[in-house]
Amino acid sequence: MTANVEFAASAFALEAIKHAAYRFTDKLTIEIEPTDTRIACRLRLIEGKRHDDSLDNLVAQFRNEVLDQDLRIQLRRDTAPVRNLILSLAFSKTGLHE
Amino acid sequence: MNKFQPLDAYRRGKGETYKLLPLKFTPLDDSKYVVTNMAGEYHILARDALHAFVQKQLNTDSADYDDLKAKHFLIDSDSDVAVDLLALKVRTKYQRLSNFTGLHLFVVTLRCEHSCPYCQVSRQNDGQTQFDMSPEIAAKVLSLVFRSPSPNIKIEFQGGEPLLNFDLIKFIVRRASDINQVERRDLAFVIATNLSVVTDDMLEFCREYSIHISTSLDGPADLHNKNRPRPGNDSYQRAIAGINRVRDALGRDSVSAVMTTTATSLTRVRDIIDEYVSDGFHGIFLRPLSPYGFAIKTKWYAAYDHDKWLDFYFEGLDYVIELNRKGWPFREFYAATILAKMLTPFQPGFVDLMSPAGIGIGALAYNYDGNVFASDESRMLAEMHDNTFLLGNVQTNTYEQIILSNSLLNPLEASFTESVPMCSDCAFEPFCGADPVYHHATQGDFVGRKPLSGFCNRNMAIFKGLISRMEADTTTRELFYQWASR
Repeated sequence: MTANVEFAASAFALEAIKHAAYRFTDKLTIEIEPTDTRIACRLRLIEGKRHDDSLDNLVAQFRNEVLDQDLRIQLRRDTAPVRNLILSLAFSKTGLHE
Repeated sequence: MNKFQPLDAYRRGKGETYKLLPLKFTPLDDSKYVVTNMAGEYHILARDALHAFVQKQLNTDSADYDDLKAKHFLIDSDSDVAVDLLALKVRTKYQRLSNFTGLHLFVVTLRCEHSCPYCQVSRQNDGQTQFDMSPEIAAKVLSLVFRSPSPNIKIEFQGGEPLLNFDLIKFIVRRASDINQVERRDLAFVIATNLSVVTDDMLEFCREYSIHISTSLDGPADLHNKNRPRPGNDSYQRAIAGINRVRDALGRDSVSAVMTTTATSLTRVRDIIDEYVSDGFHGIFLRPLSPYGFAIKTKWYAAYDHDKWLDFYFEGLDYVIELNRKGWPFREFYAATILAKMLTPFQPGFVDLMSPAGIGIGALAYNYDGNVFASDESRMLAEMHDNTFLLGNVQTNTYEQIILSNSLLNPLEASFTESVPMCSDCAFEPFCGADPVYHHATQGDFVGRKPLSGFCNRNMAIFKGLISRMEADTTTRELFYQWASR
């Protein structure tokens, strides 16, 4: 069984879609085909495995996961400087960094 | 003149902005998310609130805003002290790293008089003394142990059944104590034994050197004896008699017990806990089988899946909570370990839940033949002819060669959860750990694909289960705080 899902390339990072796809490797194989304007994904249930969720349900979960991953990318970008500051403060007196 | 400014002075200005501090988020259920900061403090947010928060559109007068600010998820114009506090907490979290190896496991013999089908160390028959550690090797191991900079050194005797080589245990304890006259470390000894062959002379020695006893108790007599066969089919009777003798000789809290879950245990969790309660223990560690040794060969490991074990675990956890509500203080130790990571800035040092991984850094295992392994599980793997985590041998390698071995550094580097797919953005990462030995054993890779990882699925379910129970019930929350702070 397969399902096709598309995302607007202007709204979502390819990285977010790859990260989301990785999370479903126990249930789905996902082919990703980016173009200039769209990122097309073909979702296929892994055969020979018992699935508790329907494909429709997994498609909905995948869409939400892409949204979450996109948010995580934004978060990482926004907080990278302060994260580095905190780590450098944390290890400044330990001798564990050079 | 009023000593305080007017109330308006403390209200935030409309449209005030805030800055995000680093955080991770993971769904708790269909509508709520767990968010954690760098120190592992957590907060629960609805999906809409999470998105609004990250987009910097969260209402600054909301309760969520105040909680997120108090827990160091954001800074605003009122205060930016959170950065310094977070750095302090992060430093506390990683403090154990600078201490390095504290736990040293001596496999003094592989011999055992039990023949447990789930044995994870591939024991040898009683009488085959070629599987005993020699005093010469033990002396070399000891010189290695005290090269560790850790102020706390715990020496644990493992087997087989270590009491079958008790003369060597005496040699090691005396020699380590002598060395410690100069080293002045906080030195402790533990014997992991089934107590079947314990004698009064052994207990007298244990009393003299304050040796703690850790034994195996799988549940009521029928279950324990089925899991742990030995000549006479009396493993349970010997374990209980041994526990009582240890308590009489060494004191009530000088013995602890661990259980292992087999397929037969799955419907018996209340019986198992009742057994521990009636034997006077203060808690239980509900442990699944590990994928090593005879547990693989006999297919006992494959006899149940993770979902069944989780049902067993949560039924047990809820029963333990129920016991506490009835006024009987009792803990589930795995939950208590995780709760300490969730609710305090301190790390309990549980080897499986450390990142960088606990192998080598948290523990080293010295086999009877002088081979040094990165952990107890690593030497179990070696008994299955997989020497991936063999770091060297005390007879031929120096401390530096062993500790700087690629067999240790490569899996440590590869499995660091902050840089592993899925772990790096998982809200539960601060509570979890890297387990390169498990993932190597089950997926042939130090990292493993987490969606397929039993370790990941099991721990994620437990993290969510603990948080859900705390969120649903304030009495459970208070109980969990007690477990975390002990």
